[in-house]
Order: sequence, then structure tokens, then C-alpha cells
Amino acid sequence: MAMVMDLGFPSFESFDYTTTTTTTTTTTTTTSSTDEGCNWSDWSPVVDWNEISGDQDFQNLIDSMIDENVVIHQSIRPIDDDDQIHEAEYNNSSPEYNMAMQDEAGSAEDSKGLRLIHLLMATAEAMAGRDECRGLARVILVRLKELVSPTYGTNMERLAAYFGDALQASLDAGAGGRLAPGAAEHHRADVLAAFQLLQDMSPYVKFGHFTANQAILEAVANDRRVHIVDYDIMEGIQWASLMQALVSRKDGPPAPHLRITAVSRSGTGRRSFGTVQETGRRLTAFAASIGQPFSFHQCRLDADETFRPTSLKLVRGEALVFNCMLHLPHFSHRAPDSIASFLSGAGTLNPRLITLVEEEMAPPSEGGFVGRFMDLLHHFSTVYDSLEAGFPMQSRARALVERVFLGPRIMESVGRIYRGRETEEGCSWGQWLGAVGFRPVSISFANHCQAKLLLGLYNDGYRVEELTTNKLVLGWKSRRLLSASIWTSQDCDL
Amino acid sequence: MFHPKKPSSMTSHERPMCVQGDSGLVLTTDPKPRLRWTVELHERFVDAVTQLGGPDKATPKTIMRVMGVKGLTLYHLKSHLQKFRLGKQPHKDFNDHSMKDGMRASSLDLQRNNASSSGMMGRSMNDGNNAHITDAIRMQMEVNRRLHEQLEVQRHLQLRIEAHGKYMQTILEKACQTVLAGDGSGSYNKSTATAPDFAQTLSFPSLQDLNIYGSSEHLESLHHQSMERESFIPVSDNFLGKKRSVQYTTPSSGKSPLIWADDLRLQELGPADDQIDSVSDIYETKPMLSGDHEKKYEAKMDRPSPPRRAAAISAGGMQQGRSSPFG
Repeated sequence: MAMVMDLGFPSFESFDYTTTTTTTTTTTTTTSSTDEGCNWSDWSPVVDWNEISGDQDFQNLIDSMIDENVVIHQSIRPIDDDDQIHEAEYNNSSPEYNMAMQDEAGSAEDSKGLRLIHLLMATAEAMAGRDECRGLARVILVRLKELVSPTYGTNMERLAAYFGDALQASLDAGAGGRLAPGAAEHHRADVLAAFQLLQDMSPYVKFGHFTANQAILEAVANDRRVHIVDYDIMEGIQWASLMQALVSRKDGPPAPHLRITAVSRSGTGRRSFGTVQETGRRLTAFAASIGQPFSFHQCRLDADETFRPTSLKLVRGEALVFNCMLHLPHFSHRAPDSIASFLSGAGTLNPRLITLVEEEMAPPSEGGFVGRFMDLLHHFSTVYDSLEAGFPMQSRARALVERVFLGPRIMESVGRIYRGRETEEGCSWGQWLGAVGFRPVSISFANHCQAKLLLGLYNDGYRVEELTTNKLVLGWKSRRLLSASIWTSQDCDL
Repeated sequence: MFHPKKPSSMTSHERPMCVQGDSGLVLTTDPKPRLRWTVELHERFVDAVTQLGGPDKATPKTIMRVMGVKGLTLYHLKSHLQKFRLGKQPHKDFNDHSMKDGMRASSLDLQRNNASSSGMMGRSMNDGNNAHITDAIRMQMEVNRRLHEQLEVQRHLQLRIEAHGKYMQTILEKACQTVLAGDGSGSYNKSTATAPDFAQTLSFPSLQDLNIYGSSEHLESLHHQSMERESFIPVSDNFLGKKRSVQYTTPSSGKSPLIWADDLRLQELGPADDQIDSVSDIYETKPMLSGDHEKKYEAKMDRPSPPRRAAAISAGGMQQGRSSPFG
């Protein structure tokens, strides 16, 4: 068909790797040579290539890699001369790799993916080391860039591209400086399309919103006035379903008055698809269309994004709810101080409920930057996998979502863990809330049931578990991704 | 609130009990007087609740009225009703009392009525232990309650997803208006032209409304057409909007990509080996689908494939492209 010719396969021409054995060997040699002639076993002591070669599942690939490479490396020797590396590149070839490559002819993709992981890990290790190793990191990144692209190739390749860029940006920004947002301002239509796609492809958005909304509904079942303070309202879509539920609730006072205060930044609304005012207008119109009494307010943060409880307008007798959504697609990773000020400010006002949705990361291990980096890699690779599982053929659509949402998030996350190290808290916001004295509120049967039903609409790799009584966690296969938790600060029963 | 009239040893409890003569209530003489839910009392309670239409419909007030037991307060009934609903009546209230015939009879009734729990009941009956029977009843009621609740949740979920989808549409509509008014098509550079092309070539029901190049009536008819094709959603018919767009992955058989393609032409996207700058090719098809898609594929072939910039071509393409799956 003519179509085939139109499309062609340009990707294979532009990269120097193919599925042939010899080329892959060269690539391997390259990676092993970045430690100037050291054998790979110095870096990754025990990698059973034969075991990995048959594995089709990307997830298991990373898992096996992470498990086997927990004990890390000897000290990285600094590079004296770039020429040395290039020379080593072409001369060095460890026999075990040649053999392994031949075994893996059938699963070159997996081995390629593994090599990319090794490259990324090597970069991370170099960056975590002494200053002299920065150069080494840059060299690896250059090589990495040649191998991957954010839009072509397999999941792992695209992922590695974003992570490579993120590491590069972290390197460039230096240890102290904050990462420049750098990411191109996405065209508004792109953002919208990507948002729509993200919602269709995955339950991430709806899971967080619906779980929080259900908890809110249950908490305000008998109230006439409800006031919700939303940390990052974006375009307000979370509240559409809440309003619908409020309008149609049977028990309790009918049609309670809903007031939403959106916390807004004092700077320009970057990367949002509309200002907060627009969101307010939209919400008001929607509320009017379904007959929900509604009013909208804004509350500005300080210049340093600190939340001041006093700037909030409160009404007597209203049920106060604080809503904090930190997951995809909520864009920018907010400064932890800002989030902390929001949540502690909430505490001073004694709200009925605090709903928190955040990404669920494994607890920080002793691996330092490298350990957290690998965990991030694992996390995002799971997200990529989950999107692909539902939409295997639509890599374009997925590439858009990755470009608009996941890429920037990767960038910020890597920058954050690179800068943070000891200063940033290692725990999640949920743990923080528990520690500062908020009480957990149990997730009801209805809520849990709703989450399960929701996931049933998507690919069956998703699962939900009730991790603690007040937390529902959405995961893909064996990896936990997103958690929604409910808290209160009052002593009385809800 | 309760004043024991005279201590009596009517039962074999360690704690002295007392009977308030006229109402037949059994109370303790604890420092904290509690009401003892005897079998008889519980029977009356169950009767009253059944009269009122079940534990979910009955309220403490109405139960109190129906039972007509003096000395029984709302407080007692509230907590007992709650326990009844959860089916977690403490065992000790029954263990020490002999099972009345009435209670047994009502449990048998329940047993007959709930065939699904017959196995459970049968086991309990064979035990001959009264407590087990009541346990079984409670379990059954609990199961029923949960089932009911689950159905409720499902219904609510549908409505909420609908609302979510409607709101999304308002966002998209506003966006197209601004886009049409503001930029025009000229200002899109290659990488950012993805979205509008996306929108027009996608059959996502909601994205259909990102109607940059077409007319609204046309889209409405398409909307209706795609609704009709929702043949295999197991839940209710009025489940619009988002549900449609997310039900891609429901079929778990190996045919899933193909089934999906029946509804939405997204399946024809194919792997993304084409150039980025030819953004409209995102949804160009590749000849890798099975024979029954050939028709749609050919229809698509007629559409010119160069990058879309001009509205006219796009509109024409959209028309043409959309004709096949709904044909």
C-alpha cells in the first residue's frame, strides 16, 4: 500500500544501532568503556544476561536490574583525557558481552533497554560522586542522547531520553540553583489535547478526583454550606462531579451551597490552560447549568508561594475542606515549603477534611541520589507501561502526553532529588500530615468500591489497595503509583 | 434514665438484672444502666424494621413508634439499628437465652427467601447452634446490604463520570472558540499543530467537540452516531461521555484492538514511525489490520495526506475520514 512508503521507517536510519548483533556489541562496548577500560563487573557486579534476555516484560527488566545492582560501585576514576575514552571505546570488548549479545539476538530490544538503564545509572552515579566526575557524566549523556529520542522508539528509549535531558538539566543548573522551568511553553491546544488523552488513557486523573470527592461528600453529608479550598485548581474539573453529586444527594439538606476558593499564584499563570478567573467563570456556569448554588473566590499566595490562612474568607457554619492535588496532571512540582504552608495553614483553621492526592514513591533507600533516581526511573517506566498497555498502537498520542505532562514532571523530579538530598523530607506528604497531628479518616466501603469500579473501566493491570485505613493507592501491576488519603484535624466524629 | 424497680434473678447472669414490669425491658443494675436486647425484644425490633421496609429504610423514630415499647429511647434504637445494619450484633446477647420459636421461624423464612445463602444456612442449621443461625442471617443481610450499596456506587459513578465529561467539553469548546478567535491556523508551528489535527482526526467523542474546523451540527450528528455504536457497555444506556472514551480496553480477548477500532478509529493509528512534522499522519493507517478494516482504510486513503494547515482541507478530510466507520 502506498501508505507504507509514506511512513517509511526513518527512525532506524538515523541511529547507529540496529538489531544486528555486531552493532549492539559496539554499543555495549561503548558503555563499558565509559569507565575507562574497567570491566562492567566493576559497576554492576552480577548481571545475568541470559536470564534477562528472555524477559519481555519491561517492568521485570528494571526490577531485576535494580535488585542485582544494589551493591554499587567502586570509586569512579576521573577522566584525564577525552581521547583516552575514545580509544578505549574501540579497543575494549569484553568477551562475556559478545557472547551475551549473540544469545540475545531475539530480544535486542530488552538488552537495549537494559543498556540504556545502565547508562542512566552510570550517569547518576557519576553525578553523585565527586566534582571531577561531572565530566564523566556529561560524556555518558552525550552518548545517551545519540541513542534515544523522546518521540521515537520503545518506551524505554523515550523514557531514557527524558531522563537524560533531566540529568543534563540538573547538571547544568548546578547543585544549588533551582532548575529553570526550561520546558517549552506548550501550546494551549496541545495541553488540552494531552489532558484529554491522559484522562482517557489512564485512570490517574479520575482516581484522585473521585476518591477525594467521595470522601468530601461523606464528610459534608449533613451540611448546608460547604467551603472547599483548592490548592491547585487548574481548570476545575474535579469539582464538576462533586457538584453533580451534591445536587443529586438524597439524604441531608438538599443542594448545599458550595463555595470554592482557589489558591492562585501571584506570578503569571504558567502552563495552565487558562487563568484561575476563567476557571471560576467556567465552574460558575457549570454550577448554574445543573442548579448547584455556587460561589467562587480566589486567594492569592505570597510572592514566595506561602499560604496565609488569614487571607481566606470564612463563613460561619460552613464545612471547611482543604483539597491538595499533587499528582499528574498537576503540573509544576510546587515548592515543598508552599505545600507545607498550605497544609499547616489548614491545620490552624480546623477543617472538616483534608484530601491529599500525591504520587506514591517507595520510601527513600540508602542508595542516596542514585537509589532515588532508580526509583524515579522505575516509577515513570511503570507509568509509561500502563499507558502503553491500554493504547499499544497510539504511540503518537502517548508521545504527546509524555511531552506535555510526563517529561516536565520527570525533569522536575530529577532536579528535585538531585538538589535535595538531605534537605528535602524523605517522607510523603501523607506521612507529614500524620506526623504533625492530623487524624486519618477511614475510606468508606463506597469509596473503595467506586475506585475499583473506576479501574474496571480501564486496563485490568490497574489495581487499587487500601494501604492504611485512610489511604487508597492506585497501582499498576506490582508498582504503587498514586495515593489518595483523607485526613481531619478535628476531634469530633465526622 | 432507667430505674430498676427491684432486683431480680430472672436470668443466670452474674450481673443482677432487673425487669421493668410494664414494658418487659430487662436492664442491668450496673453503674451504667444498659438495655439488654433480649430475644423477645430483638424479635419485636426485627418485626418493626421489616414492617418499615428494611434496616435501611427504618429510622429509630419510626421503629420506636411501631414497637411501642415503653422505656425504649431513640438512643437505644439508634445504636441497635446501626449494629443491626452492620450485622454485628454481639453474640452474648443471644448465647445465654434460649432461642424462641418465633426467632427460629423468622430465620427459616429468611433462609427460604435467600437462596444464595442456602449453603451457608444449611451448614448453620446442621450445627444446631442458635448463634450460628443468627450469624448466618446477619451475614446474609450484610451481603445484601453491600450488594445494594455497590449498585448505588456504580450508578453514582456513571453520573459523576458523565458530569466530568460534560465539564471537559465546556473546556474544549471554550478552547476552540479562543483558538479560532485568536491565533488562526497560521501561527501553529509544526510541533504544536498536533492538537487541532488530533482533534479533527480523532474520534474521541469529547474531542470531536474540539471543533476548530467543522460545524457544530455535523459534530452533533456524529456524536449521536457514535453513541449508537456503544453496543457492548454492560451498564445503563444513558452512560455517555467519558465512559465511551474509556471503554477501549474493556474486552480482554486478543481481539481487543480490533474491537476498539470498530468504535473509534484510533486503532488505525498504527505505530509511530512517521515523521513528526507530518502531524496529520499521526492517525494515518498502516496496512496491518485485518481484512474487515480494509474498507475504512481505503476510505482514508482517499484523503490527501500532506500536513494540514488549511481549514478547508481539514474539514474535507474530516468529513471523508469520518464517513467510513459510521457507514
